[in-house]
Amino acid sequence: MDTCTQKIREIAFQLLEKKEVEKVIGFSNGTIPMATSPITIASKQDTEKLVFNSTCGLNLANYIRQQKGKIAVIAKGCDSRNIVTHMIENQVKRDQIYIIGVPCKGMINKSKIKALFEDEIYKFDEDGDTLNVESSSKKEKLNKKDYLRENCSLCQHRNPVIYDVLAGDLVKEQTIEVPYPDVEKIEAMDADTRWLHFQELTKNCIRCYACRNACPLCYCPTCFVDESGPQWVGKGQDKTDVNTFHFLRAFHCAGRCTDCGACVEACPMDINVRDFTRKLNKDSLDMFGWEAGLDLTKRPPLDAFSPDDPNDFIK
Amino acid sequence: MGNLLEHMGIERDRIHFSWISSAEATKFVDVVKEISNKVRALGPNKKLVKDYN
Amino acid sequence: MKFITIDKKNWAKGIEKSRETYRLFGPVKDKNGFFIKDLEKDMLPDMTCNDSVMSVKSVLFPQTEKILFTSLDEAKEDHHIMKQVPFDPKPRAVVGIRPYDAKAMELVKMNFDTDEFRDPYWCDAYEATTFVGVGINKPGPFDFSTSTGTGPFSETGLDVLMADLDNVYLAKILTDKGQAFMKSCGFDKIADEKESLALFDILRKEAEKNISSHIDSSKLKDKTVLELHEAPFWEDIAFSCINCGTCTFVCPTCWCFDIQDETKRKSASRFRNWDTCMSPLFTKHATGHNPRDSKTQRVRQRFMHKLKYFLDKYDTGIMCVGCGRCVKSCPVNIDIREVCKIMNSYVKGN
Repeated sequence: MDTCTQKIREIAFQLLEKKEVEKVIGFSNGTIPMATSPITIASKQDTEKLVFNSTCGLNLANYIRQQKGKIAVIAKGCDSRNIVTHMIENQVKRDQIYIIGVPCKGMINKSKIKALFEDEIYKFDEDGDTLNVESSSKKEKLNKKDYLRENCSLCQHRNPVIYDVLAGDLVKEQTIEVPYPDVEKIEAMDADTRWLHFQELTKNCIRCYACRNACPLCYCPTCFVDESGPQWVGKGQDKTDVNTFHFLRAFHCAGRCTDCGACVEACPMDINVRDFTRKLNKDSLDMFGWEAGLDLTKRPPLDAFSPDDPNDFIK
Repeated sequence: MGNLLEHMGIERDRIHFSWISSAEATKFVDVVKEISNKVRALGPNKKLVKDYN
Repeated sequence: MKFITIDKKNWAKGIEKSRETYRLFGPVKDKNGFFIKDLEKDMLPDMTCNDSVMSVKSVLFPQTEKILFTSLDEAKEDHHIMKQVPFDPKPRAVVGIRPYDAKAMELVKMNFDTDEFRDPYWCDAYEATTFVGVGINKPGPFDFSTSTGTGPFSETGLDVLMADLDNVYLAKILTDKGQAFMKSCGFDKIADEKESLALFDILRKEAEKNISSHIDSSKLKDKTVLELHEAPFWEDIAFSCINCGTCTFVCPTCWCFDIQDETKRKSASRFRNWDTCMSPLFTKHATGHNPRDSKTQRVRQRFMHKLKYFLDKYDTGIMCVGCGRCVKSCPVNIDIREVCKIMNSYVKGN
């Protein structure tokens, strides 16, 4: 990914010098190990701040709406699909965005790496497919493939589906035999076990809404949880309210979610909220043959009606 | 929606969908009877009930 | 000054004994980190965790707290008259609290217990709680507590400060409450005062030497509110912020809350929930006007409050204890240490 960083900086520099865009949205190095921070660059001197590596787990499509003028944005495979969704939903116009596509080999699972250490990690660097991680008690050399985020290990759209320029060579797409093993695992449980699974999943949720705010699809001016007349969902820690927030938010993203994993990346409690959205993604595929963000001309299934739509659930 | 709730562990028969026009009174009665019977057969719901602490 | 030696072999027994008098809280390891929990029977506080994900503030200030209730049944005589939820007076003890969290409690007290107002919920809980702290021998890389007026062996806000020494704990009793707690555990082996004081001093110096993160907030007092407020760097700092409430909720010195009523059939309850100034709704007026409509205004507000307004108002240092939780948990890695550096070194016109 190092060559990617160089290319991204060059492209950004060109774009800003020729004044083709007002700003470039990308990632910069963070202040703590394994962190990168979204950044906006408006002057060509600052392009040196841009980086791209396996810790760039957030979705920059989250920052492209309601911008003045034309902007450039770094987009991995999943991010580019969200940009397509934004265009279908009239949140951005194609000519407002200059997409710097980055073919992606996957982002690392930071909590899985942190779990290997008893104390805090103070040093991290990436060397090709090897991760060098260090704390005051030990050093580890890890194989990146073993520490990819779950959504990245199951990803079938690593290359950007839409772009103005590519900042790296296209990568070979993975063929995944069983694309939804996590959903099938839950489907195999009986009702009470499933209930316990979801209760356990959300028990540490602090309603910070980092998942919602990191998600590019969640852009409603007033989210349903913030509505007060009528108030649909309580704001407190009652388990029913917490679970309702999660499953209803997932439902609002049904058929639009690209499984980019920004929600899990943002969560301070490491809750795998994807357990909610993945089921809906699988259903979209099974019931409508639909995967979000792949076709600029078609509307998502919950947005459009066709006489062939599955009807067995309606009396 | 029904599928997601079922995925979470809430019995599928607790949630029902139907298109009924205001002119279809008979259909309305039948659907309500069917739903009432199905839900009653499942017993009181203990999941997603607000606690009030 | 009284010092008590506690053989670690006797620790669990003593803690169990204290349950006769106290409701216990402390850090417990969960799959994703350490959390402060209500300790049930046989659950011991983890004394080795340096940094819990959430702070101790939830012991005195729960995320959701029912504060008032009433009946809506007009047949009842006292209908619609709100009553305070009765306070559970059983003494509480937080065991294994870190010194920076105890200092944070003192900071928060300035808000909840003033000459004009006394928050009964927070203050009653505070008065009933004994804080048994443990010094941090090896501070983590995100601990910058020595720059904020506290430190790994600071005593502010604690009733007992314990030092973890391999086979024993050495406890320094700081208040009567602390003494009472030790007594309820049955820990009474007195240690030599002079030796203990010396030992604590050595440990403190060692620990402070191990602090690797520092901030400089010395010039903030001399700058004017307006010059910092109108500074041009806020736009860049705020760009990546996603306006979640993570920094607010993990911060031990954040105290903002929202009051909501909920009704169910014939009864109504009033709840207090944590709220965050990062949320656009936080300052939305009933008219629809919102003075902090933009993200930049909200992010600026957070750091101005923490590093400038509080500093000016109370003159006891910044509203941060250097625990580093916000730095670790922020989804986009906005770092208060960086912001402080920018604010501290800002000169108007540069």
